[in-house]
Amino acid sequence: MLDSRFGIFGLLSDAGPVVLMVLSVLLSFSIISWAIIAFKFGYLRKSLRESKAFLDYFFEVYNVDKVFTESENFRHGSLPRVFRSGYIEYRALGDKVDIRQARARVARAVKREVNAENKRLSTLVPFLATVGNTAPFIGLFGTVWGIMNSFHNIGQTQSASLAAVAPGISEALIATAAGLAAAIPAVIGYNFFTQQIGIIERDLEEFSPEFVAAFINEP
Amino acid sequence: MKKGQKLVSVEKKFSLWLVAAAAMHAVVFFLALYFQLWDSSQHLKPKIVSVSLVSLPGSGSAHQYSEEQGSSAAATPVPPVPPRATTHPPVVKKTVQEPLPEKPQPVAPKPVAVELPKKSPVELPKPKVVDKPTDLNKVLERLKQNVAKKTATQPQQPSATSLNKALANLQQKVKSDGQQTGSGSGGVRSSSSGSRSSAGKGVGGGGAADPYKAEIASIIQQNWAFSRQLLKNSYGMSVYVRINIVADGTIRQIVFDKRAPSEYLNNSVKKALEKSSPLPVLPKEEGGRDIWIGFMFTPEGIE
Repeated sequence: MLDSRFGIFGLLSDAGPVVLMVLSVLLSFSIISWAIIAFKFGYLRKSLRESKAFLDYFFEVYNVDKVFTESENFRHGSLPRVFRSGYIEYRALGDKVDIRQARARVARAVKREVNAENKRLSTLVPFLATVGNTAPFIGLFGTVWGIMNSFHNIGQTQSASLAAVAPGISEALIATAAGLAAAIPAVIGYNFFTQQIGIIERDLEEFSPEFVAAFINEP
Repeated sequence: MKKGQKLVSVEKKFSLWLVAAAAMHAVVFFLALYFQLWDSSQHLKPKIVSVSLVSLPGSGSAHQYSEEQGSSAAATPVPPVPPRATTHPPVVKKTVQEPLPEKPQPVAPKPVAVELPKKSPVELPKPKVVDKPTDLNKVLERLKQNVAKKTATQPQQPSATSLNKALANLQQKVKSDGQQTGSGSGGVRSSSSGSRSSAGKGVGGGGAADPYKAEIASIIQQNWAFSRQLLKNSYGMSVYVRINIVADGTIRQIVFDKRAPSEYLNNSVKKALEKSSPLPVLPKEEGGRDIWIGFMFTPEGIE
């Protein structure tokens, strides 16, 4: 069906098994990368939006009980999650614990949630970096393999005319093109998500002490 | 429990995105395929005038061509050029499907022996000029039957002897020109008989003993750089092509009646014809008119 008249697909139909394997690996990389990009984009955007709205509410009200009740509406935000974990720990203390011990325990709970949130935010993102770094090399491997075969054929035919060399090389170069096509969106996505995660992490580090102070100095 | 449920929901969401990404890739793939098909259909408008497996003799097509295109060539005789066509830059004026670049093509003699044309040229009856592709198949079948009949009725020996004569003439001519002939590796089957575009006359000339056709077949064969090993599949790999030669030997038009599935083979044929232009000057018997000659290129015979 896909004979050589149909450009790239014709070349694909003539490609060897190694090149095809490389292309299938790159295709799966590309699919997973795009899935991660789409998933993370929605997740981080929601987290940022809800964190911002929660912070506005927190500084507006400054009553931890009210803020906790309101935080139920911000289920996907990182800051509301951290606040909730600190509040739960604070309420679990009871009245017998002195203020220094209470501060330390709440701070520990907040810190633990911040760490968990950081992990949650950066899940799957390193795969993008891996694809961005390795996909061009995998494609290059396919190209080198194809060119090796091409030169082998040239040696067999004892002809170095362009007509003899060009089809094999163009067939092999598809692998490099596929590697770049998989790597470029992955690198762009990785840089974007790293920057977004950095913003959320800075917020978490800055406002965690504020939360602890709000619990302990509760009126 | 809650964390487990959250994890499951996150995994579900991610697998949904995974399916969406796979679907997106499939859509992009099919769009690219569709675009290429559409693009190829835009570029490959079949401008088929008539189809002949072997040649395009007769007055019908010749007359039409000479009226449409070749009248100027017939009216103004071109000064003769030296017979070794490959030493001159080609002046291909028109190609049906792809434009031929004009560039000097000095031909180095190749270390391959000239092979005999495998099919003996057969004289064909006057073909009809068919404009529709559906009619072309009928004409094709009819021509095949005619060729089969003629080859069955004609004894093999005379055509072989005449072919030998033609080759002997050719060799003498080549020797007299002082040029070396290499050993060919081609599978060019000069299966043409003379299709003389005689501006209405339509003399069905040519044949097995036509030294001119044998000579141009050998020139094209020498200029044909093709390797069968580069084809993964040789099934159905044949190119039917006919060329319009004006009086001075210039190939004016190249018509691909049937293209091979491999662009490599098609391009190699095209380049061989480009390289071979201008061919030797037409013999005087042609009367300064242009002629159509058909060839079939297959990968067979090349090892």
